[in-house]
Amino acid sequence: MTRRRAHRRFPPLVLVGTDHRASPLALRERVAYDAHAAEEMLVHLIARDAVGEACLVSTCNRTEVYAVPRDGTSPLPGEGYRTAVDLVFLARAPEMESEGRLYVKRGEEAARHLLSVAAGLESMVLGEPEILGQVKQAHEMAAAVGAAGPVLGRLLRTAADAGRRARAETGISQGAVSLGYAVAELARNIFSHLGETRILVLGAGETARQVVRSLAERGGGGRLRIANRDPERARRLAEDVGGIEVVPFAERLETTAASDVVVAATSAPEPLLTRDGLASVMARRAGRPLLIVDLGVPRNVEPEAARLGNVFLHAIDALDALIDRNLKTRREAVPRVEEIVEQEVGRFGAWYRGLEAAPLVARLQQRAERIRRSELEAARGRFPAELHDDLDRLTRALVRKILHHPSAGLRSTGDQGELARLDAARELFRLDEDDG
Amino acid sequence: MDPFLDAANLLLPLGYLLAAVAYGLLFFAGHGLARRAATPLLAGTALLHLLFLVGVTLRWGQFPAVTVSQALSVVAFAVAAVYLFVEWHAGERSTGFWLVSLVFAFQLLASLLRTPEPPDREIFHSALFASHVSLALLGYAAFVVAAGYGFLFLELYRELKAGRFSTFYGKLPPLEVLEKMMSGALVVGFAALSGAVAFGVFWAQRSFPDEWLRDPKILFTFATWALYATALLLRRLRRWHGRQTAMASLAGLGAILFSLLAVNLLFSDFHGLL
Repeated sequence: MTRRRAHRRFPPLVLVGTDHRASPLALRERVAYDAHAAEEMLVHLIARDAVGEACLVSTCNRTEVYAVPRDGTSPLPGEGYRTAVDLVFLARAPEMESEGRLYVKRGEEAARHLLSVAAGLESMVLGEPEILGQVKQAHEMAAAVGAAGPVLGRLLRTAADAGRRARAETGISQGAVSLGYAVAELARNIFSHLGETRILVLGAGETARQVVRSLAERGGGGRLRIANRDPERARRLAEDVGGIEVVPFAERLETTAASDVVVAATSAPEPLLTRDGLASVMARRAGRPLLIVDLGVPRNVEPEAARLGNVFLHAIDALDALIDRNLKTRREAVPRVEEIVEQEVGRFGAWYRGLEAAPLVARLQQRAERIRRSELEAARGRFPAELHDDLDRLTRALVRKILHHPSAGLRSTGDQGELARLDAARELFRLDEDDG
Repeated sequence: MDPFLDAANLLLPLGYLLAAVAYGLLFFAGHGLARRAATPLLAGTALLHLLFLVGVTLRWGQFPAVTVSQALSVVAFAVAAVYLFVEWHAGERSTGFWLVSLVFAFQLLASLLRTPEPPDREIFHSALFASHVSLALLGYAAFVVAAGYGFLFLELYRELKAGRFSTFYGKLPPLEVLEKMMSGALVVGFAALSGAVAFGVFWAQRSFPDEWLRDPKILFTFATWALYATALLLRRLRRWHGRQTAMASLAGLGAILFSLLAVNLLFSDFHGLL
């Protein structure tokens, strides 16, 4: 009587999640977890019998739960899957049950998805850099509450590796793809120390707010100042973002002379900065470059100012072109990032299958030992008693030597190309069959 | 010794070409293999170059800069060494392609112009000559580096001015850094060239009191020195900024090449009075 054990190439991992493609913001924000709520949820999940390991990745664009069944063999979808869906999603938003809101991936597909997320391939803005940090935080949190076991711990580390490699080896995160970051990127190409640049923002409307927020988040300026015709509005923006100085609008030319970057984003009908005014500013700057980004419609800066030496004047069109160029670079990097993801998925699978080598080797040695004992027992009667010990030592040494290389070879199995060895060994030695 | 020198003379331009290609692939395509190969290729070739120069010195018993070929080769080696130092010190590899290409061009000319046996004159063995020539070649090497950074400054400046974000934008150090590197190289080059001119005038006045001011090499060197002096003075007075200084550094490179090649090859063996 023989029993064939299903040989798994991947752990019985399950992913249930939703993202910006599957659900609108109104629904996503209901199933978004802050750090505290995520921690509690992980504790609830691993308290269930069916769930052995769990991890929750929750950002503004996605909520995903990854789980590994406790016994490692539960068929999926099973209790672990239902638990994750009920606790993480349906308890907060029953509408998530509607078709298409939640996606479910298993095994290799789930692993590939997490690695793609970490590499920025699944982000709303392709290659955005924050997601890698968020995946790492998810790992730390799962580890802190004891929810990340060997499988998820390894998978999350592999995901972080894939994310790091994607950013280091390809252009997937290169270049700014939003207005605020584009301003910072332009400044980085001109000034040696971005953290020490002095930035003046003219205006306090929505565009100015977007730029100021990006610059403040990015630590884009050593000194960020804002001037607006309505100083009260400027003060409100400064308070909202923090760390910004409000300067009088009438002194904008003097403040420009003491700035490195000027972002003009007002709807003023007349230019706020003229060529002549800027020429006088440049005369006081001793050749230090001045970057001016004119996001105003109509223009806030006279276009003729671009002819002044060391004045780098860019209007909204130039920034759009820059963003398009950066997006193109990122899109071109996708095939290479997908290759990296595949390599890392392969590495993870190899690691997992490598886990099976140790019990396989033990089984092989037990099988050989059983045969040796059985044959020795049968032959014992044909030899004088004083030779029995020698016979035992001899057969033991024979078995050990014969199995030495196969055992070492199986233990070293880890690379993708060598994994066939495990299957071959199982077949050749019939290790999946019951003894006797 | 001669077979080694002959082989090195062929291998050096080849090594620098391969290094330039690797740095080019790194700059334009971010090529993974080039990322690993570029620096070892350049460092290996520079090491071979050092051995070559030591070999030339031992073989002929004189400072290895008595012919145009040798002078170009010393300049090429000095530029490669300066670039490797900058790369090691600042971790900056994006300028590699441009500077290593200059190194390749100089060494290619040096290898093509190499003569089997350099002239041997008494003056070539004097310490005064060695000091004069070393300072001059150090100055030239620094000016080549300045021109390399000046070229990159101008290209990035143009792209930033025009809002044409293509070849150089985002791949080079910021304009301010390029300007500092260019200015630093100019100052070092000017100091070295001034020293070389001072040594040269002192030596020439003593040895050839009536003839030396008629030597085209010396006259052209004075003109080159004056060009750099003007550029640095105007910069110091804040009348010139990065762009003008960068253009002056490129003009200076043209003057150096003319001084090393045309003046020496057309008007004299080395200096006309020698």
